[in-house]
Amino acid sequence: MKRTVDVNIPLGPIHPCFKEPARLKCEAKGERIVGAEVELGYMKKGIERIMKGRPWQEVMFLAERVCGICSVIHNMVFIEAMEQISSIPVPPRAAYLRVIANELDRMQSHLLANFSYCYTIEHETLGMYLLDLREQVMDELERLTGARVTCAYMIPGGVRCDMPRHNAEILSGSLDRIERDLRRYSGMFADGPMIALRSRGVGILTKEAAQRAHAVGPTARASGITTDGRLIHPTYRQLGFVPLSRTDCDNYARVMVRFDEIIQSISLIRKCLQDLPKGVIRGGGVCKGGETRYSGEAPRGELTYFIKSDEYGRIVDIQIQTPSIMNIEACCHEMIIGADSIADVTATFVSADPCIACTER
Amino acid sequence: MTILQQIKNKVRARSIHVAYVDVGSCNGCDIEVLACLAPRYDIEQYGIFVHNNPREADVLLVIGAYTPGWEEKLAMVWEKIPPPKAAVAIGNCPISGCLFNRRESFVDPPVKKHIPIAAEVPGCPPRPTEILQAILLVRDAVFANWEGEHP
Repeated sequence: MKRTVDVNIPLGPIHPCFKEPARLKCEAKGERIVGAEVELGYMKKGIERIMKGRPWQEVMFLAERVCGICSVIHNMVFIEAMEQISSIPVPPRAAYLRVIANELDRMQSHLLANFSYCYTIEHETLGMYLLDLREQVMDELERLTGARVTCAYMIPGGVRCDMPRHNAEILSGSLDRIERDLRRYSGMFADGPMIALRSRGVGILTKEAAQRAHAVGPTARASGITTDGRLIHPTYRQLGFVPLSRTDCDNYARVMVRFDEIIQSISLIRKCLQDLPKGVIRGGGVCKGGETRYSGEAPRGELTYFIKSDEYGRIVDIQIQTPSIMNIEACCHEMIIGADSIADVTATFVSADPCIACTER
Repeated sequence: MTILQQIKNKVRARSIHVAYVDVGSCNGCDIEVLACLAPRYDIEQYGIFVHNNPREADVLLVIGAYTPGWEEKLAMVWEKIPPPKAAVAIGNCPISGCLFNRRESFVDPPVKKHIPIAAEVPGCPPRPTEILQAILLVRDAVFANWEGEHP
């Protein structure tokens, strides 16, 4: 069928609204978008090729640098996959500390995503509030792990450093502050009439379309699909984790799901601090040969590692499936189509929280 | 130094426009550059405006280990920036390739081979305060008395 297109509009790779380079080619008819295609390939470093044939001690640092925004979950999934291969037990205190680090990382990632969205719809005030709140979360992450971004906190059979009692008290104090501020800011977002004009009913991803595009993470949960990798994780099951979802299916829902998940993360961390078991943080163990497939819930959705190692703990084969590729697919083939203006295209693209670095690796 | 030059120096020191380009990093340095915008570090109090438009920029922050996708394109971005201009390499990746510079990798560091780099900020990733300090030092070193040296 012949399609009439008025103009082709390329966005990127360098664009004021995009954190990372990606080229978005939109076909517009008048002001309405009739088709979009994303062009990747600006960030391909070949990290899986570097990983092959190296000992796990090196690969754990490489795994963390697949994505700098959600580095803790990459570390966690890789280490837990190695533990599953070698049947290394994790001490209960270490398992809880892992959850605390992971949830702090999720909080900062979601705050950054919501900052990007607010910045894209030109609501800079709320964006700056969220970025300031993120710095408080980063402080807590630094106090727990010792680094801001790439912290390599988890090691096979435990975690790297313990949390003293006074640090736990400081953490729970800051969580109260963060939650108070966050409730105010999410209320500002929820009630803002101008924000609603830019967000409600824009970038609709219906449940069927989300299932068709295999959307994961907050993007899927905003379309009413209650999928969450944390449901099958043993520590999260102990904590009684229940996934959230919304049924609005638009940009507004995706941002609000992230706000809700930050509050949920705060309550998970509080629960961890409350029942933090006493004991050792490192049980020890030897990484052995074998192969496994292991999934975890990254801030953007399901993250899967397929690992094959030899008897000395060297990585023979590794495949990583990151969540953003499905969300980018859902974004450019379902959400953007029918957008009323080019300004909505960038807002919709950012609302799906695409992470190009971990998509291309 | 003429009075005109003194006025130019004074004005230019408070109006630095910054663009950043990610040529294949892990995103860690990107978010540390974004964190400079936060009210805690407040990059705009020094008169630095993060804009991400090369045609208006003075300082280009280069992040990442130079992937094949950026061949020719990075030089094009660099040419679009009007002089006086300076490029700052953020993180270990543009300096040495960090841990991506291994056998079987696609990257081609250092970025110094492809465009002239005025300053380098090592770290994986560097803290926002270090990035801020580097931009301020570059401002003083490159832009002061620029017309005097380039008549």
